[in-house]
Order: sequence, then C-alpha cells, then structure tokens
Amino acid sequence: MKRFFPWNKEQRVRKDILRGVYEENLRIVGKGPAVIYKTRFYSAKRLMLPFLISLMILMFQESFVPTPMQQRSQITANTFQKAYQPSAGGVSEEGPSNYKSFISSPGMPISRIFGLGVRTIMIDPGHGGNDTGTKGEMGTKEKDIALDIAKRLRDRLKKYGNYNIVLTRDSDVTVPLNRRVEMAKASKADLFLSIHLNYLPSRPINIIETYYFGPSSDPKILKLAEQENAESSYGNSDFREIIGKIGDTMKLQESKEFAASIQKKLFMNMRKETGTAYNFGVKRAPFVVLLGVDVPSVLAEVSCLSSKEEEVQLNTESHRENIARYLELGILEYLNKGDVTHEARRHTEK
Amino acid sequence: MKQDDIQKNENILYAGIDLGTSRSSISASNGTRQWIESYVGWPKDFIAAQVVGKPVLFGAEALQNRLSLDLCRPLEHGVIKEGISRNEEAVKDIIKYLIELAEPAPDQKIFAVVGVPADTLKVNKLAIRKAVTDFVHSLMVVTEPFAVAYGMNLLNNSLVIDIGAGTTDFCIMHGTIPSEDDQKTILTAGDYIDDQLYSYLIEKYPGSRFNKNMVRQFKEQYSFVRDLDEDIRVEIPVAGKPVMHDIKNEIKRACESILPALTETTIEMIARFDPEFQVKIKNNIVLAGGGSLIRGIKEYLQDALKEYGPCNVTCVQDPLFAGSDGAIKLAKDMPVKYWEPL
Ligand SMILES: Nc1ncnc2c1ncn2[C@@H]1O[C@H](COP(=O)(O)OP(=O)(O)O)[C@@H](O)[C@H]1O
Ligand SMILES: [Mg+2]
Ligand SMILES: [Zn+2]
Repeated sequence: MKRFFPWNKEQRVRKDILRGVYEENLRIVGKGPAVIYKTRFYSAKRLMLPFLISLMILMFQESFVPTPMQQRSQITANTFQKAYQPSAGGVSEEGPSNYKSFISSPGMPISRIFGLGVRTIMIDPGHGGNDTGTKGEMGTKEKDIALDIAKRLRDRLKKYGNYNIVLTRDSDVTVPLNRRVEMAKASKADLFLSIHLNYLPSRPINIIETYYFGPSSDPKILKLAEQENAESSYGNSDFREIIGKIGDTMKLQESKEFAASIQKKLFMNMRKETGTAYNFGVKRAPFVVLLGVDVPSVLAEVSCLSSKEEEVQLNTESHRENIARYLELGILEYLNKGDVTHEARRHTEK
Repeated sequence: MKQDDIQKNENILYAGIDLGTSRSSISASNGTRQWIESYVGWPKDFIAAQVVGKPVLFGAEALQNRLSLDLCRPLEHGVIKEGISRNEEAVKDIIKYLIELAEPAPDQKIFAVVGVPADTLKVNKLAIRKAVTDFVHSLMVVTEPFAVAYGMNLLNNSLVIDIGAGTTDFCIMHGTIPSEDDQKTILTAGDYIDDQLYSYLIEKYPGSRFNKNMVRQFKEQYSFVRDLDEDIRVEIPVAGKPVMHDIKNEIKRACESILPALTETTIEMIARFDPEFQVKIKNNIVLAGGGSLIRGIKEYLQDALKEYGPCNVTCVQDPLFAGSDGAIKLAKDMPVKYWEPL
C-alpha cells in the first residue's frame, strides 16, 4: 500500500474520518450538526461557482428590465387566439379570461403549443436545510418527504428519454426562494412544479390542493402563503401591487391548466389508494416561487402532515413512490392535452 | 489497539456487515466470517410453510425452494426496491440472519458498522437504520466502497470501484469521509452482464434451453475481457441430449459491455479534481466486488486510462469479504464514545 503522508498525519486523517462517520450517522437520525465536510481539493464545480453566481446576478438583473412586449402582444393576439383554445379544465374558481396577453410573458415557451421535442421540467422540492417546512407529530419533515418525492418523480420522468429534468435541490440544503427562481430561468425550464406538504392543525385529515400564482382573499390561503414564503423578504402586501401589474397572462392560463391536471391525478389516485383524501381543488395564492418563474408553474400540496394516518403512510417507500407517480400522470396529462394519439391511447387503456 | 481491553471488559461483539445487491457478508470480532446470497424467501402459504418447514429462508436455500416462496432480493437495484412491500422486512431478516451466523454470546453487546450501496444510503438512510436497530446495540451506516477503502487503508488519494451485481459504486477518498459528490453509482454491473449474455446466447442457440441462473454461472466461471488463449465450451441439453456449445465470443461481448460506462465514469470522477491530485488517484485505483474477478478487467482499465498519463489499478484480495472486513475495521477503530446506544 502506498502512503502519501507521514504516520502522524495519517492518524489525524483517520481520526477525522471516524468522527465524520459518527457525525454523518447522527445526521441520518436527525440529531447531528449540519457540518458539511470540506474537500481539501478544489473541484471543477467549485471553480465554476463564482462564474455561475455572477451569471445568475446578471440574469436576475435582466429580469427586471422592462420589456416592450406588451405592445407587440396587442398586435399579434388575434392570430394566436384562433390557434390556441385552452380547455376549461374543470376548474370553477378563476379570474377573467384574457388571451390578449398571450405572449406578454417573455419567457413563455411555445414548445407545448407546437409540440416541440425536448422539454425541461423543473421540480422544486420545497424547503430544505435550515428550513424544515412543516413537521408531523412523529417528526416527519416536509423538506425530507418533498425531496424524496421529487427525486422519484425525476427518475420516473427521465425514463421517457425526452424530458430534461432539473431539481432545484437534490439534497438537504437551504435554497432561498429567489435562487430557485433563478435556477428555473438559468435552466430554461418549460414547466415548474413545486412540491410541498400541507399542515392544518384544526383538521387532522389528508388534504390535497394545487396552487397557481394569483391573488387571494382567503385568510387561510394568505396564511399558507406567508408560511411558504417565509424566508423570502416579501410580505403579502407587496404582492397586491405586483399582482395588479402582471394581470392575466398566458403563463397564468397555462399554470391553471397545469394545476388542474396535477390536482386531478393527484387527488383521484390518492383517494383510490388511501380512501381518505380530501379534494381542496385548484386555487390561487401569492407564492413567491410561482411569481418569479415565467413559465407555467404550480405548487402542489401533495399530502398533509397533520393527518396522523397519512404521516405513517408517508414513511413508507411505496406511498411516496405512488405520489410521484400521480404527479407524473398529472404532468403527462398536461403536456399531452390536445394530443390525439395520447387521448386515443388513454381510451384504450381506459 | 487500545480498545481491545474495553472490548473484553464490556463484552462487545464488533460486527462489520456488507449488505450487497446480490451477496451479503459479515465479519465479526469473534473471528466469524460468513456470507449469504441476498435473497430472502417467505413461504407462499401455509402449505408451502409445511413443505419448507421454516418461516423464512435465505440465500441459496431460498433460491432452491423458490417455487414455494415469495422470493425477494431487496437491494436488487442498489436501493431498497420499491413496489414490493416486503423489501424493508427482507433487509431486516437478512441482517438478523447474518448476526445469528456470527453467533454472539447471549449477553454480548453488538456494535455494528453496515456498508450499503452508495445510492441506498442516499435514499434509504432511515430505512436501513430501522432495519438494523432491533438487532444491535449501536450502529453506524456507511457506503460500501468507503468501507472497502477504509479496510485497505486507502484513506487518501485513491479511487475504489466496487463492481457488484446490481450496481457499480465509485468512491474517491481524499482524507475525509466522502461526500455524495465523491461517490457515484451506475447500474452497469454483474446483472447487466448476465442480461447481455443471456440474450446473446438465446440468439446464437435458439434451440437450446438457457436460464438466467445457468448464464450467471457460466459468467462466473469463464468471465474475461479482451483476449483469452483458451476455448470456452459448455454442455447444454438440446432436446434431452447434452451438446457442446461454444460461448467464448458471447462471454467476451457480455463482459465488455460494462467497460464503456466503467471507463467513462472513472475518467469523469477523476477529472473533477486538480491535476496534481488526479495523478495521485490514478496511481491508486482499486477494483472490488465480484466484477473485479473478470479476467483482464484491471489491465483493460489501466490501458484505457494510460492515455491520460501513468496509472496503476489493482484488485482487492478477497472481493467477497472486502466490504465486511473494512466495516469491522471501522467498528474496531471507532472511539468508544461514538458508540451511542440506540
Ligand atoms: N468470477 C467472476 N467473474 C465475473 N463476475 C463475477 C465473478 N464472480 C462473481 N461475479 C459477479 O459479481 C456480482 C456479485 O458481486 P458482489 O460484489 O458480491 O455484489 P454486491 O455487493 O452487489 O452484492 C454478481 O453479479 C456475480 O455474478
Ligand atoms: Mg458489494
Ligand atoms: Zn411547504
């Protein structure tokens, strides 16, 4: 065996490693310090980091530059209006339908409408790191479950070969909300799905609901938004102004459709599986992540940690895999809306 | 080792366990070394239970009785396999059985280090811990290639490549406990070779009866890459009569099917580090796992990497126990204060 360092140094390394193993295991059971071991050697990734950060800053600034798109959309709106008729999606609650602003959000990809090949789907497991999210009675943490489901969903979608799947985090790290937004832009995501878990202390039942960005006057929803936005610097009052400005864009139309598909598949299958899911439907809420991303984006509360029964289920592999599958079905349904062959296939599969 | 005294006083049994996708082994401080195939089978119904006479069967015995059993290979793809509800139970049963094989004294405390495939640790951390906690007093879980590296004193400047059945695990050691970035798992490994070989053979000899088990045995007996100066012929019954089959070319093609991903991932893992460290790692590459027994694989990798400068690839002495031996070394070296009761 070759040794590259003297004996006492090796002893020290060994000691460090043993302590590392111990601490890592403490972390597994959720007791340990959140120490991340330093690599003594720099990696290519590390060299890229300053570059990436400056890139993100640049992009972030760019997103604040007002674009003269609004005028252009007025001219072209009529042509597009004929080509594109979104289906009703079975959602009752919504704002005014207005397709004039069809291309008013500059980042809106046309891949779905024109059925173009590769699509980038960004999956956003909520919370992470210092931000635990909600927590069940047994100690199950929202951040862990959301991450696990997100990874499963990624793996499922990857199997199709034609989707590029990006996660906003794939480990237990803190990712600020605006970082998530920037990542969606940087990776040119076509679709954005944020995965969260609900907690309603007054109602120990399993509630499924899906949100897209928009105003809300429901105090419960505003409370939830406050929770999910907790580590952003915005408050609910800031949103009122923003909402007024963005109006009813294509992004919102699409987000609503996307939310409808997710909610439908999630709830129907969840109810089939557990028999006890409650459908709280598609709703609007001022969530920071959904605002920032300029492509169809939804936030799904895929399960509920205030239900003891559900919390137990969430600790089984099969249930988390099932939820990932329902989300997969929702995404596929959204992407394939209007695709005749898909419809046909669905009917034969019944 | 200072801790030897404490061991005797406190009556502790240290155990290193390698929880593999196809084979699992235990090395214990009382000298026991045992391995089983990572199969668990439970009788399908009460009649089957009568036939096999046990509530649960393991390894080869489970395979032999497969028709009477619900058979489970819980870590088949490197993670606790989804969909089958009894996987977690199976992991538990394997651990329990391995510890029984080590025959701890009734009053002995068991301190165990368990090595699992890198991806299992990422995804199933808690599940693995839960599966083990009932049978031990204190426990650490580590990744399998890390256990191998530790056991061989490869604490720094090295790359361990563990070619198992379901997964090939890569692990770079640089003087600290490896992070997720330092480890990578790919799914081209022993099972993949078996699948390839099986399909090549049924294609070449459509009239002959092969099964996966036979095919794996052929592979384990004759595996090689690149060139070999001997013929490979096996006897397989065709319409009831034993007939010789030449399978040399198929063995070669099947074994070589894992090489591109192996080489690519090796290069990718090394390339992440700065040049000075790259040179050191390349001189310290170790192949472990059953796949390291493929003849010529070490030389192949060495030549493939030579393009990027000199390098040195070696194979572990005893692939079956390299993981559990490493794990028990970790267990014995671990300061007593770190062994917290569960
Ligand atoms: N001589 C050999 N040549 C090629 N493959 C082998 C040989 N011996 C064992 N194997 C294969 O190695 C794999 C088992 O290796 P192992 O390290 O025990 O895997 P794991 O740790 O995943 O359980 C199996 O696919 C087995 O067929
Ligand atoms: Mg192994
Ligand atoms: Zn949340």
